[in-house]
Amino acid sequence: MSDARILDRGYRRFEGERAGLRGSVGSLTWHTSRSILGLGRKARYKIVPVFIIVIAFLPVIAFLALTILVGDLLEGELRPDYWEFSQFGLAVFATLLFTAFVTPEAIVRDRRDGMYSLYLSTPLTKVSYLGAKALAVIGTMSLVVMAPSLFLLLGYTFQSLGPDGLLDWLGVMGRLVIAGLGMCVVYSAVSLGVSSLTDRRAFATIAVIMVMLGAFIATALLVEQAEMNANVLLLDPLRLALEISPRLFGDRSADYEDVSTWAVALGNLGWTLVGVGTVASRYRKLDAV
Amino acid sequence: MISVVPVITASGLTMQFGQQRALDDLDVAVESGVTGLVGANGAGKTTFMSLVLGLRPPTSGTVEVLGFDPQHDGAELRSLLGYGPEHHIMPDEMPASDFVKHIAEVRGMPRAEARGRASDALWLVGLGEERFRALGTMSTGQRQRVKLAQAIAADPRLILLDEPTDGLDPVQRDEMLALIRQISAEYGIDVLLSSHLLEEVERICDNVVALDAGRLIAQGPLDALVGDDGGVVVELVDVADRPGAAAAVVESLGRYGFEVRHDGLGGTRIEVLGSDADAIADAVRDAVAAAEARVGRIVRRRRRLEDLFEGAER
Repeated sequence: MSDARILDRGYRRFEGERAGLRGSVGSLTWHTSRSILGLGRKARYKIVPVFIIVIAFLPVIAFLALTILVGDLLEGELRPDYWEFSQFGLAVFATLLFTAFVTPEAIVRDRRDGMYSLYLSTPLTKVSYLGAKALAVIGTMSLVVMAPSLFLLLGYTFQSLGPDGLLDWLGVMGRLVIAGLGMCVVYSAVSLGVSSLTDRRAFATIAVIMVMLGAFIATALLVEQAEMNANVLLLDPLRLALEISPRLFGDRSADYEDVSTWAVALGNLGWTLVGVGTVASRYRKLDAV
Repeated sequence: MISVVPVITASGLTMQFGQQRALDDLDVAVESGVTGLVGANGAGKTTFMSLVLGLRPPTSGTVEVLGFDPQHDGAELRSLLGYGPEHHIMPDEMPASDFVKHIAEVRGMPRAEARGRASDALWLVGLGEERFRALGTMSTGQRQRVKLAQAIAADPRLILLDEPTDGLDPVQRDEMLALIRQISAEYGIDVLLSSHLLEEVERICDNVVALDAGRLIAQGPLDALVGDDGGVVVELVDVADRPGAAAAVVESLGRYGFEVRHDGLGGTRIEVLGSDADAIADAVRDAVAAAEARVGRIVRRRRRLEDLFEGAER
């Protein structure tokens, strides 16, 4: 007897249980994450995110390769600490590129192609819509900001160069995760805040670069050339967020040597609130229908 | 099955934007079926829809949709609604099936169910063969159908369609209206259709809510608002040696106390309003005879939706 069946397709009423607001947020988060990484889209949309992720992983892959080749020679002083990998030029460059070129895609496009109105006709509210977008951005950004450090930890562990004992290992991993999430939150807030001010992705990209890079250059000049107080560096969101990692490992980067840990924490909180406040203010006035 | 409970009820609904009153003390009861929300641009249709969706609080008054208060139960309510916005939407590079599936999921459909329902909805609107095409490559008519498909894919109880025939040619418009009628009749989905095209509302709607400058000017079953109103339309033959005949007929009918509408100097079409058909017929006969006018045609006058608006203007 054949297993063939006639499928009764065609529009019909749905009797099952609906997923509710939680399902809506989950679906939008997943869709946005895929969309900003170019998944399910034409190849040209994948180029930038893939390029950035590759750049972010390069330093880690290079060091792992080196440890495989020379092994114990990189022990001690020669081997950078875990937090230092997020401060390497290529890693910072990848972070900057991601916040400027990829993150704006999460919210700018919805306003341009009318999807924002459509989303708000679903169980989503403005708050849950923005929450889903923030989750998607933080999640995807962690591929650039957090994942390389975790990959390094795993790499060292497999070569018996990782932390001693399970507790130490969990401690390092926990700090890497918290630092990575902290950085992602600050960068996402700044990038989404700037992106919320324009409906054009190119303008958003330029504006994010101007804020991040502009603040970096301006504060560097003020501290190094004009010899102003080191706390001026709190106005630079790019390096300020990077400072979370060394502080969690009980260390300080050279630039922020004279800035207290409390100031670093409050500075990052301030930038996050500025970004969130900008988004909230913009979307409060934005009518959906 | 026709529900007895109104789908939407509003009481004293007022919406004020600064100095502008978009909705003014609206008392509305929208029954089951296809309801036309009609009015000119700026009449308050879109504002009314946004209040139904719970996207903003009213300045005063209340609104209830499917038994829910949109302000307090917005998320729960909106999972039972479908919405087709007026403006152009949709990410151009996304295939129609992915788009409809995604919106169905956001509206609360389980992922396993959403793919099949998206496909079914696209087949229903006539885009089954085209469902894997990118939205950016579709015609205006196809995009309007995709908008309808995404509105119904999550099996809503009520769909709100804002100018769904906008940009369509006459054939596409007929097909779209037939689809909307079919969705309501076959699947029991109530429809609130916002349109400024009175003719299409008359063709498919069961009920009408007519707004003018934020005020409610009429509501109720379409049959009660349009149709035979007891009056007649007299079309005179334009005869060169009787240039003032039409004016004389109008003047004469006016003396009988009827409301008479005449399409201006030189016009030959005269509408006589009233409920006593016999009295109107006698008056027309006498007036035409007295003016020595020649009648081309006398027909029963049908009340149309545009009369509601003309009445409101007067």
